[in-house]
Amino acid sequence: MVSPILSVRDASVGFEQDSPLLLDVNLDLHPGEIIGVIGRSGIGKSTLLRTVAGLIAPISGKITAPTGRGEIGYIPQRLGLINHQTVGYNVMMGALPRAPLWQTLFSLPGIELRESARNAIESVGLSDKVLDSISQLSGGQQQRVAIARSMVQQPMLLLADECLGELDSETAKEIIELIQKLAKEDNIAIMIVDHNPVRVATFCDRVLHVKGTRIEEVDV
Amino acid sequence: MNLLQLLKKRPSLIVYSGIVILAILISNKLGITIDNLGQAWGNAGILWSEMFPPDFSVVTERASWTQTECTWSADWACSAGIHGLLETIEIAFLATLFGMLLSLPLSMMAAHNLSPIWLSTITRNVLAGLRVLPSLVWALIFVIMFGPGPLAGVLAMTLYTVGYLGKLQYEALEGVSRHPLEAARAMGLPRWQIARYFALPEASNAILSQILFMFEYNIRHGSVIGLVGAGGIGWYLNNYLGVFSRYDRALALIIVIYVAVVIIDQISLSIRHRFMDSETHAPRARWREIIPFFPQREV
Repeated sequence: MVSPILSVRDASVGFEQDSPLLLDVNLDLHPGEIIGVIGRSGIGKSTLLRTVAGLIAPISGKITAPTGRGEIGYIPQRLGLINHQTVGYNVMMGALPRAPLWQTLFSLPGIELRESARNAIESVGLSDKVLDSISQLSGGQQQRVAIARSMVQQPMLLLADECLGELDSETAKEIIELIQKLAKEDNIAIMIVDHNPVRVATFCDRVLHVKGTRIEEVDV
Repeated sequence: MNLLQLLKKRPSLIVYSGIVILAILISNKLGITIDNLGQAWGNAGILWSEMFPPDFSVVTERASWTQTECTWSADWACSAGIHGLLETIEIAFLATLFGMLLSLPLSMMAAHNLSPIWLSTITRNVLAGLRVLPSLVWALIFVIMFGPGPLAGVLAMTLYTVGYLGKLQYEALEGVSRHPLEAARAMGLPRWQIARYFALPEASNAILSQILFMFEYNIRHGSVIGLVGAGGIGWYLNNYLGVFSRYDRALALIIVIYVAVVIIDQISLSIRHRFMDSETHAPRARWREIIPFFPQREV
């Protein structure tokens, strides 16, 4: 059995010690696996993701996640793109963790990194938008940029918060295909938060439902 | 209606009257009286008559007493007005450039969302310290240290620019959305890379606008620091008002400064407008537009 990339044991998650949002969270996530997290708004799904990403400390319990540079990829709710920059720049940011220091100091990414960024942009179908700024793109195109950034980063664990948003079904399907490709071809473990249980069930290997302060696995 | 009834109906009158009485008392204490004002009016009349008409030979005739050497062959280029104005613009340019290069890393260190609290607190205090003294006082200090001339002006305005621009910049950096920064933090990037590659480009439009504003501000203040000998057109103005008592030439210099400031204001406004117009897809300020010699490779 392959050891899990992410292991959460008896974790309580939230901002205040007295009133945690989620209690006794237990989960394992293996390479190539996609876990969907569903539940109503404001219940603590995003907080769980941010805790796993290491942005918030858990109130109690133990979270074992990759700690190396670039081993965790995180797509926040609003995608976390640099709106004032181009598609090319944003995708290149995924290469930062593995770029040598001198390249990052002088802002001169090497041929290999530029090549990987170009391939990622091509595979999400944005080759003609490389020099467009993010604010000029549609919601679906911005989501593709965020996915392309993760493709370049090649993390062990990818955490995506509502990255399908309010996309129309056609665009959402294209993004889902890209996510599945990341999991199956690159063996990346993916945890994705979504508010649409029907959609999540179509592409996730497992689905976790947040109810009150508890998380339970539901049948897909 | 007697006074008491009026005050009952309009209690705010007591406050307004109190303010007026306080203003009169303070003016008396400071010796600002109607007599003084009347006397000043008389002096203003004399000054006025000596100022008009303005003598524009200050922009046509070569000045033999320029503070720095003028090597141009054209007389107008070495006139007090043009040579002084150019010197002021040069001082402002260097001070803005050096100030920006120093304030950018300091503002990243001062921003709460990019630095640990101990570092941001120390850096904020350093920046506040630089703002305590206006550029005129810094100029006085540097004139004592290095003697009169543009060097004192550049150093004085650089220090003030660092303090002022640093504050504006860390506020702009703190206003950046947390989402890209969190994505970068989750990647495990060091703080300087998060600041350089995520926060700075996101705040670049505001930062570019602030740099332009500072350049414009430094040109205006460049005329003031010359009064204490720190170079620029202010030095010529000071001599015409003091040593030479040529008020007609001083007025011409004031008009030159006014016209230059209006032109630079307009240029700066149109550039800032180009980058700050959020209604349309305004071209976004990129890193290379802030520090041009830093290349930014596209894929």
